[in-house]
Parts: sequence; structure tokens; C-alpha cells
Amino acid sequence: MRLGIRLESILPWIAAACFARAAAAHHSTAEFDYTKQVTIKGTVKEVQWTNPHSYIQMLVDGEGGEKIQWSVEIGSPSLNVNLGWRKNSVKAGDVVTMNLSPARNGKPYGTLRVLTFDDGRTLEGVAARVGAGPGVAPPASPSAAPPAAPKEP
Amino acid sequence: MLHRDSLRLLLCVAALAVSASSSAGTKGTAASGSEALRGTWVPDAAPRALLTSSGKAPPLTAAASKLNAERRERLAHGDASFDPTTWCAGPGMPRILTMQYPFEVRGDASRIVFIHGWYRWFRVVDLGAGTADPPLPLTMGFPVGHWERNTLVIRTTGLIDSTVMDASGLPHSEQLALTERLQVLRDGRLEDRITIEDPENYTQPWETVLTFHRDAASRVTDDVCPDRLARGEPAEQAPNPQMRSAGAKRGVPAEAAASNPAVEAARLAGVWEPKTFGFMVPNAPLSAAGQDIVGRNAAAMQSGKIMQTAWVSCRPGAVSTMTMPREKIVVLESADEVTILFEMPRMVRRIRMNASHPENIEPGYVGDSIGRWEGDTLVVDTLGFNGYAELDARGQPTSPKLHTLERFTLAADGNSIDIETTIEDPEYYTQPFTIKRSWKKSPARHPFEYDCMENPRQEDFENAYYVRERYRPVCMRVEGEDSALSKMVCGRAE
Repeated sequence: MRLGIRLESILPWIAAACFARAAAAHHSTAEFDYTKQVTIKGTVKEVQWTNPHSYIQMLVDGEGGEKIQWSVEIGSPSLNVNLGWRKNSVKAGDVVTMNLSPARNGKPYGTLRVLTFDDGRTLEGVAARVGAGPGVAPPASPSAAPPAAPKEP
Repeated sequence: MLHRDSLRLLLCVAALAVSASSSAGTKGTAASGSEALRGTWVPDAAPRALLTSSGKAPPLTAAASKLNAERRERLAHGDASFDPTTWCAGPGMPRILTMQYPFEVRGDASRIVFIHGWYRWFRVVDLGAGTADPPLPLTMGFPVGHWERNTLVIRTTGLIDSTVMDASGLPHSEQLALTERLQVLRDGRLEDRITIEDPENYTQPWETVLTFHRDAASRVTDDVCPDRLARGEPAEQAPNPQMRSAGAKRGVPAEAAASNPAVEAARLAGVWEPKTFGFMVPNAPLSAAGQDIVGRNAAAMQSGKIMQTAWVSCRPGAVSTMTMPREKIVVLESADEVTILFEMPRMVRRIRMNASHPENIEPGYVGDSIGRWEGDTLVVDTLGFNGYAELDARGQPTSPKLHTLERFTLAADGNSIDIETTIEDPEYYTQPFTIKRSWKKSPARHPFEYDCMENPRQEDFENAYYVRERYRPVCMRVEGEDSALSKMVCGRAE
């Protein structure tokens, strides 16, 4: 699947994410630790195309075989459309791997960096575009590190 | 042979003449149809359950019929939670046309806009050629229209299936396609004849008819649904007193009521998007009272709290759209009003041209705006704010003393607008100060959509710091256990 991205349409978001803790106050990004990355694999339970942020609810096997439900923020409808997502890009029942920045409170909650399907296709969340994340470390400069082209297997 | 050629020539000339005549006629009636459509309309009936145009039940499939019956049963027991409007989320189409609120039609040659009286929703009908290509289904879809003589024909696709078509819970899928035929009848009423196609839920296309009348007393105001929920009132007030007083089925003659024709030489009209987002208003000259609030906000954030402002609680004020530009805006110009529709946060600003502020302004989120042209610069003076708005992500406050002066200047090439906003609020700032923002022309045919109330999430509010108590949400999305899906739960969050 080739995902079209309008770079100019997401640059303002990247710039916004570079507003350090200020942007964090505006959204809920303060609750995520952008210095950390966690990778989880599981089955998509629900995709919520909602504002101000969209979410994927995912069921992941715990160490004891129990199902752990993760809430993963993926962006927002208008942002994700510009990142190449469409309504059926991810569906309930899909088995996916998500690399994310986790919530600071240790709960199964995070913001998506990269989602990878079993066949290797990928989709990015906005967290993939802001380096170490807002307010934690110097973010990647959009001009120095433009978003990578959509990846195909 | 000569005879046959002559005949062919005659037929061609006749066909061309008819075509030219027809084209001119269509153009002429489209203009008059557009004029007749403008203004404020009040529903004649606002039906709770849609029927076909012949008064019969819609041709539901067996599965859809079962679902609708279940919803009606829930409704009979006071449970309307299948309808997102109950928590102030997007109503969808044609649900919003069945609500007991007026709507106003404005527009120009490029688009017709429906400004609905319920919670700041609007529809932007693109009059350009071609069909829409919805990237993602939305509440109000992607309407594309054209004129057939004096009838506005609107085709809407890309409608999200989480909405219902009426208050009885008539279902639809994302295959739903609506074709509306709107015209002003001889008795002055507006008729919207809607063909509904949704093979997933209906055995065949069906038609319903809604009618509306004019009422000189009705106005589309800045309606903020979450405030009603916070007061313990229903999201949709019934009955609308304006409707009750306007029970007459005959409306004001169209020619007497039509107003606000679009200006011929519009300067700012079109779709625009911010050149850059803005989240911060640096170096604002905060007073001691202002510093106190900003300091309190900062301390809360440093302690790990998530700050909740008016913007986050779906109650943004006009001032926040000036200081924190986000997503697209649609500008319409008429001789007596410049209208600005904001995608995100969703709101409508009405700038009355060459007018004065009224003596007693009822304070509100968008204030009272008056405008004038100084050369090619639109100057907008706004007061009458309610003080429930923050200037930026640090929660820099505003008070009812807020007074703003904006200068909208179009670039020489017509492709961008620079907006200077001077902010004066002696309650929280020691002196007036000015910020600058820029917008550029957008290639979009439609604004996208920001349905703020669909997702206040439990996680977001577990660790929240409310800048103002009013911002505490009434309804939140709670995740389901195990395989259960998420659902909205209403009740004051503590």
C-alpha cells in the first residue's frame, strides 16, 4: 500500500510539536515520555477516529496469558489523513505491531510512533516526526529531517 | 442534397439558440434561486422520526428494522444514548435538519453555506465541478451542489456511520448518499426533498421531504451545547421557543426576506489555512492578576497535571482563533456581513459591516464583532466576550473586559492574509499588545471537521487541572472491558 503524504500539510504540526511543553499543555502530550519507546504486538480491538485525538484500542497478551488493553493515540483525523491514513487503513481484528512512546504514569497507554502490519507495511503516528518529542529533548528539525517516504515491504 | 444540408443547418442553429437560451435561463434562475434561499429558516415540524414523502415508514432492511426497533424501545425507556447529539457530538445528516433549531443560508458563486443553530455546526456545499473524494467519512460529509434552474441540488457522500438519521435512531451506513433538492415554494416556504440511498440499511432508495419557513424573529446564535449539559439541561432544547412562536405554515415571501447578497468584488472570500500553527503568545504584558493565573497553571503542569482550557473543553472563544490559528477557515463576504467559519475549533464568527455595537451586549464566547474596510484592510472591532477563553497554551487568561481589534490585510497577489490582532484587557494585561498571524489560500474544496465532543477520554481527565470549573466535562469516553467497545458515559467528572 502506497500512502501519499503532503509534507507541507503536516509541517505545521511538526512545528507545533516543537513548542515544547507549551504544546503539551494544549494537548495531552505531556503525559507521554518521548524519551522512551515500547513495542507491543496484538490485535486491534477498536479504531476510534475521534477528536482531538484518534485512538487504537489493542489487546496484547500479558505475561500470564491475560489480555491487556492498550490505548494508543495515533494523531487526529485531519492529521492522519495528511499522513496517508484512510478509514480502513487499520481495522478491528488486524494483527499489528506498534512502536510507541508510553504514558509517564506506567499505564498501558501511549502515543504511536510507527505501526507495522505483519506483511511489513507501515503507518506513522505524529510522534515519529518529532524526534525525542516535545519538551524533552531537541526535536528533529523538519528541514533537516524531513518525514521519510511511506515504506513498503 | 441542398435541401437536406439546409435543414441540418437550420436544426443546428435552432439547437444552438435553444442551448444558449437554456444556459442563460439556468444562470438567471440559479442567481434568483440563490437569492431566494438566503436567510434564516425555521423547521415547520422538526420530525422526531422521518417518513417517506408519501407518509410511509422507510423501507428498512430486516436487520436495520430490528436495530431501529431496539432503539425505539430504548427511547421509550428514556435512553437516547444511541444518538451522539445527546452528548453534544456531531449530529450528521439529515439529523441536523430534523432538530428544532433554525439555520441560515449564505453563500456566493463558489459555495453555499448552511449555518445551523445547534452547536456551531455548518455545512459548506461546494459548487465546483466534479464529485467529492472523501478521505475519511465525517459527520456532515462532503456536499457538492449545483443549480438546476431555481433548485439547489446537493449530493452528499462521506457520512460517518456513528450518527443517526433522526431522533428515533434511523440507522445508516457509510454507503449513505443523500441527494437534496432545495427550492423556495410559492408560499415562501423552503422545501428540502431528500433522496436517501443506503443499500446496507434500505431495500431501495427512498425520499423524505422537510419544509422550513422564515421567521423574522429567529436568529442563528453562537450555541454552545456543552454549557447546556453542564447546567443539567438536555443537549437539544425542545421545543425551541422561536419555533413555537412561528407556528404558521406560511412563511414570509422570499423576495421580502432575502438579504445579504454576496458582494461582487469579494476580497477575502474563499478557503484559507494557517501558514503556521500558533500555540503561544509570548511577552504578553501580564498584570499581577494575570501572572497569578499563569503561575498557578505552570505550577499545576509542573506537578504533572494536564491543563484543560476552554479550547480543550470545546468552548473556544473567538480570541483563541486569533491567537492559536488551526486548520482551515472559510470566509464569505456580503455587503453587510463578513462571515468566518472555523474548522478547528469549530465556530462561526459574524462581522457586521459598518455597524455599531449594541448598547447592551449579552456576553458570549465569540463576542460582538463590527467591521469596516480601510482601503483593502478589513478592520474588525470585537467586544462582549464572556471571559471564558485563554490566549494560548499556557492558559493566559481573558476577562469580560477583553476588547480586540483585528486588521485583515490581503497580500498583493491575493494568496495570503496577514492578520494583526491588538488585545486589550485591563483585567489581566497592563497595556494593549499586538500579535500577528498569517493565512494562505487553501486548495481544499471543503473544510475538514472537528467534532470536539466525541472524545473527552477518561485517561485525559484522570489527571486534569481545570483552568476554570466550567471546563470540567459532563460526558467522557470510557473504554470497554475485554471485547466490549468504548462508550460515552455522562455524569459530572470529579
